[in-house]
Amino acid sequence: MESFFATELDDFATGKLSRRALLETLTLAATTTYAAAPASAAMAPDPALKVTLVNHISYNCPDFKKAADWYSKVFNLDQVGASKIDVALPFGKKGEKPMGVTANDVPLTHLIIRSRDLNAPAEGGAPRRKSQAVMEHIGYTVADFDREKAKAELKALGVENVRDGGLYSLHMTDAYGYDVQISGVANNALSDGA
Amino acid sequence: MEKFIDRLIKQFESGQIGRREFCQTLAMATAVFAGGAQANAAPAGRGFKMLGLNHLSYQCSDYKKARDFYSSMFGMQVLNDKGKGRANLAFGPEPGKGGNFLVVHNPGANPLKPSEAVIDHIAYTISNYDEGKVRAALKARGYDAPTGRDGSRHVYDPFDYDVQFASAAQENAFRREGR
Repeated sequence: MESFFATELDDFATGKLSRRALLETLTLAATTTYAAAPASAAMAPDPALKVTLVNHISYNCPDFKKAADWYSKVFNLDQVGASKIDVALPFGKKGEKPMGVTANDVPLTHLIIRSRDLNAPAEGGAPRRKSQAVMEHIGYTVADFDREKAKAELKALGVENVRDGGLYSLHMTDAYGYDVQISGVANNALSDGA
Repeated sequence: MEKFIDRLIKQFESGQIGRREFCQTLAMATAVFAGGAQANAAPAGRGFKMLGLNHLSYQCSDYKKARDFYSSMFGMQVLNDKGKGRANLAFGPEPGKGGNFLVVHNPGANPLKPSEAVIDHIAYTISNYDEGKVRAALKARGYDAPTGRDGSRHVYDPFDYDVQFASAAQENAFRREGR
C-alpha cells in the first residue's frame, strides 16, 4: 500500500496527476483497497502450529479477588467461574466472537487471575522452570480511545501512575503494580515501533 | 478520510512533511480506518469497553532468539524488526482489525518496575486443533513429551517461559461456569 501511495504522490509531484485526482485516488484506495486485501497476503508460510489469537493470560498475584475487581472496574469485565484460587474474566459476553475473528472455534481472550504457589509442581507433576524472560506489560485495546479523555476517566476510577506511552497509548499500574497499557486500534503491530 | 488526506497533501505541499512521512502516515491511517468500523461505542458509565488484547511485551536477553522461536513454531509474522533490540510478532486478524502481537525485546535502559503480580504463562488458541498433528509437529521440533492434556499442551520457550496452546474446546472461559 505504501508503494502505491508513493507512486501516486510522485505522479502528483511531477505534474502527471492533478491535486484533485490525487485526493480522490488516495481516498478511494485508503477506504477500500486495504479492507479488501486478503488476510493471508501478508501472513507467514503455514507452520504446523499456527496460533490464531491469545486464548488467556495467566496472571498470578497474592489476592486474586483484589486484582479481578480492579480489572472488572477498569474494563467492565464480568467474572466467570470463580474457585478458591482463581477466576476468569472474558473480554466480552457469552456468545460473542473476538474482534476480527470469523472462525467458530476461537474463544474470547480472557484473563485468568490466580493466587497459587508457582514453586509447586505444574500440571503433570514436573517442577516449574524458572523463566529467564518476563512478560513485563500487557497492552489492551479499548473502544473509542481518546488519550486525554481516558486520563480523566482513569483518574476518576482512582487508577495510579497514569502516563503517556508513545503516540497512541497510556500506561498505568494495576492493583499489584503491574504495568498495564491501553490504546485504540491505532496502536498495532504495524504502528508500534515503526 | 478525504479531509484527512486533504490536510496531509497540504502539509506535503508546504514542505511540513516529506514523501516518506506522507506515505507512512497515510498507510497507518488506512489501517486504522479499516479497523475502526469494528470499534463499538463504549458503554455509558465508568470504565472502558475492552475490545481485546492488543499486545504482550516480552523481555528477554536476546530478542532474536525469541523472535525465531515464535515465528517458526507458531507462524507469527515478524514486523518492525530494525535490528535494534526489538520486533513485533503479529498473529490472528490483520493489525488494527483485532490482530494480536507479541513484542519481543531486549532489556531497555530502565529497570523493570516492581510488581507483586506475574504473568506466569500465555495460552494461545489454535484453530482446527488436531491433537495428533500437534503432537507430531512438536516431536519434529524436539518436544517429545509436552505437558498438559489432549487439546491443551504446554512447552517452554528458549528462555524457559511457559507457553500453552489449546483448542477452544479445552480452553474457554465460559466452560468454567457452574463448576
